Amino acid sequence: MATYLEFIQQNEERDGVRFSWNVWPSSRLEATRMVVPLACLLTPLKERPDLPPVQYEPVLCSRPTCKAILNPLCQVDYRARLWACNFCFQRNQFPPAYAGISEVNQPAELMPQFSTIEYVVQRGPQCPLIFLYVVDTCLEEDDLQALKESLQMSLSLLPPDSLVGLITFGRMVQVHELSCEGISKSYVFRGTKDLTAKQIQDMLGLTKPTVPVQPVQPAQPHEQPFVSSRFLQPVHKIDMNLTDLLGELQRDPWPVPQGKRPLRSTGVAVSIAVGLLEGTFPNTGARIMLFMGGPPTQGPGMVVGDELKVPIRSWHDIEKDNARFMKKATKHYEMLANRAAANGHCIDIYACALDQTGLLEMKCCTNLTGGYMVMGDSFNTSLFKQTFQRIFSKDFNGHFRMAFGATLEVKTSRELKIAGAIGPCVSLNVKGPCVSENELGVGGTSQWKICGLDPTSTLGIYFEVVSQHNAPIPQGGRGAVQFVTHYQHSSTQRRIRVTTVARNWADAQSQLKHIEAAFDQEAAAVLMARLGVFRAESEEGPDVLRWLDRQLIRLCQKFGQYNKEDPTSFRLSDSFSLYPQFMFHLRRSPFLQVFNNSPDESSCYRHHFARQDLTQSLIMIQPILYSYSFHGPPEPVLLDSSSILPDRILLMDTFFQIVIYLGETIAQWQKAGYQDMPEYENFKHLLQAPLDDAQEILQARFPMPRYINTEHGGSQARFLLSKVNPSQTHNNLYAWGQETGAPILTDDVSLQVFMDHLKKLAVSSAC
Amino acid sequence: MAELYVKPGNKERGWNDPPQFSYGLQTQAGGPKRTSLTKRVAAPQDGSPRVGPPPPSRPPLVGSSLSSTQPTNFPVVESETLLEDVLTPLEQALEDCRGHTKKQVCDDISRRLALLQEQWAGGKLSMPVKKRMALLVQELSSHQWDAADDIHRSLMVDHVTEVSQWMVGVKRLIAEKRILSSEEEANEEKSTATAEQNQTVPGIQQAP
Repeated sequence: MATYLEFIQQNEERDGVRFSWNVWPSSRLEATRMVVPLACLLTPLKERPDLPPVQYEPVLCSRPTCKAILNPLCQVDYRARLWACNFCFQRNQFPPAYAGISEVNQPAELMPQFSTIEYVVQRGPQCPLIFLYVVDTCLEEDDLQALKESLQMSLSLLPPDSLVGLITFGRMVQVHELSCEGISKSYVFRGTKDLTAKQIQDMLGLTKPTVPVQPVQPAQPHEQPFVSSRFLQPVHKIDMNLTDLLGELQRDPWPVPQGKRPLRSTGVAVSIAVGLLEGTFPNTGARIMLFMGGPPTQGPGMVVGDELKVPIRSWHDIEKDNARFMKKATKHYEMLANRAAANGHCIDIYACALDQTGLLEMKCCTNLTGGYMVMGDSFNTSLFKQTFQRIFSKDFNGHFRMAFGATLEVKTSRELKIAGAIGPCVSLNVKGPCVSENELGVGGTSQWKICGLDPTSTLGIYFEVVSQHNAPIPQGGRGAVQFVTHYQHSSTQRRIRVTTVARNWADAQSQLKHIEAAFDQEAAAVLMARLGVFRAESEEGPDVLRWLDRQLIRLCQKFGQYNKEDPTSFRLSDSFSLYPQFMFHLRRSPFLQVFNNSPDESSCYRHHFARQDLTQSLIMIQPILYSYSFHGPPEPVLLDSSSILPDRILLMDTFFQIVIYLGETIAQWQKAGYQDMPEYENFKHLLQAPLDDAQEILQARFPMPRYINTEHGGSQARFLLSKVNPSQTHNNLYAWGQETGAPILTDDVSLQVFMDHLKKLAVSSAC
Repeated sequence: MAELYVKPGNKERGWNDPPQFSYGLQTQAGGPKRTSLTKRVAAPQDGSPRVGPPPPSRPPLVGSSLSSTQPTNFPVVESETLLEDVLTPLEQALEDCRGHTKKQVCDDISRRLALLQEQWAGGKLSMPVKKRMALLVQELSSHQWDAADDIHRSLMVDHVTEVSQWMVGVKRLIAEKRILSSEEEANEEKSTATAEQNQTVPGIQQAP
């Protein structure tokens, strides 16, 4: 229904929330029969240029087990200066500052259009942002030079007050003391031995000294003692020296014998970085940025040995339990990731190499802390350089988009409980009345920590309806959820973003049509996909596909219109019509299919999938395909082999790649040079149109996608051919008696075959 | 002000390396998109493919009105950006800061300005870099600190290989001049206030 689409869109624009169901089934039993769980995608820091933050602090419910924040759903008695919490029904007194409010003079947080509102925390110290660079020096000369230049450039992009530090590693790990005096010093650690946090702090001299190292400056912020500033200095003081220091960095001096890999002590380097920040700036926003050009080959956290003839593990090796170092290495990085997350520090990984670098073992560093994972071929590529630049991109107010040290708290009305969250977060283990015993994702808590986030970071939050069957619908007929995100803004201000939403309850037995009409198939697809990928990390691949298929069949059985045992009668209403297609493409996607990808590639794809907003996630599941022709403006077309036509240009966006594909005839015309003839100028425009549209996407996306410009018969056309639904294969090429579109040489099942099977199974009474 | 251009990516290192956008293009606020490419088409419920007409042998001709007048290419005479025009104001700015900034910092900046001179005179800097440095110096002289800073950033992003060694000195110079200038303004306000106060006490020598 058009109205629900508008409703869904308006809510997403205002609150950054999309629910799988927008009318909620009122009992637990009915909710489980819906197949798709009641869940939402939440973008806590969605960009709201029209929402200026308010300069006061939120008003809380006084019940200690509730503490919900005053919001537009609360009942207010202006005369008595009381408000009733809509979650626990406690009556609260307004604080004295609210003495002047009335029906015509409402505070912003009571107005319906401020269902999402942001508060600025006035008190407390404002800590500077901290950036700790951890740099691999076992790189080729060109690569190292390019990386050095990118780091030097970044010093111009960092805020002048932020603190910056440098650790370099190869066979040894060097922590550089940054000073303005001429001589540069560093502390060298062996890369083979892991150290505890305390040992690292002792060796770096971070415990309280008997003699002050530097005179205290009068305007020093009142938080950390000056000892910490030896390794982490403000950019405005240290930029010249650090620029020189970076410029002088050499490749790791230890010679690499023939047939061997360089000895890279990544595990110890990250351990020292985490320990250094733990000891100097716990509980404040910081980014550890790890740059590596190859896999860890030495010490704790090593992922492969130094013999080149023993390749790094593949999926095949992992399935056959033939990955020697995997378990131990994963454990090492998980330990570090958890420590960093506990301190509010995030870890980014920038891995640029032609072979794998161990992202599979290290992925918890980014996934638990909210850091970025960027995978490239070399530091000397525009993909790395521009992706890195975009980390420092600014919003409309001139502030960095990145935010730090967030905690997300979810409150629900009593008919709902929280089953868990899936996204770049860790649990804070906060139990309470809202927490369900049935876990989906990271559960057992109503609060999570997200150490690094930006305006597109999105979590999937899963709920459980707990009302008993046949219990009456609660008074007022609506259930509510409140999302409270405390975070450190890049201006170093602490802020609180509060979003409070409500939806109607409905009795599933008498009002199923209403519930159906309010189904958000796009959100549902992404939420189910996140569940699937979450499972795939711990279960076997085929089991996840079977689970996904079962859920799809059950959904079709429940909501399809059909006559029993008659597949041709099967129909889905509009609000479900795209869902099977999404599931079909999800099954073929690199998130659930590891075939054709290395373990590192799968980890990288999954990393991005688990944090993007709905629109981008859908692009990843089912890439967008637009067709350009002389017949009119560019139009979206089916992601199908029948869309590949000789006189069309196709633009495909998979999120990770932008592919421009020239049909056979177009390619021939281009080769003949028609675009250079003035009387065929419109052909020139046609060739240019997809390039311009691709450029718009490339200009904004993070991370920077790969760019493929190819044509019919080109080897790179495989990127397009592997994604489109193979409705035409070498098996069924002549089934309709004429050639349309390009046949795909594959044994993959097509959407038509998939749908046929699905219909058969849905209408069968045997399931 | 900043250049807006797109270069191809590094095809040697990454065959599908995306094109590189200049700093100016990347910082442009996202304006209204021409085509928002986010629509999808639902699969037909019964799954029969479309059949289109066969393509013609040539692209269709442009309509009778030929393309409008070709833009005449006037030879653009670029006035050569002179080294002195850039270096002299920078050195002057450094002199201004000498009394107020630490000696070591001033020496460091001076060293980098010497490096800039050496590279410029040795022909190692490209035309866009020279042009933008001239602009930077103009902004600096007009006390437009944010604008000068932005130009320095754009040079670091777009031409890091050429400028990285000495640009950080220019960056520091802008920062020091900014501090110096705001202190001078504050002192001026104070001294006008004290001057008003001191009017009733004649005969006090002003310190030189």
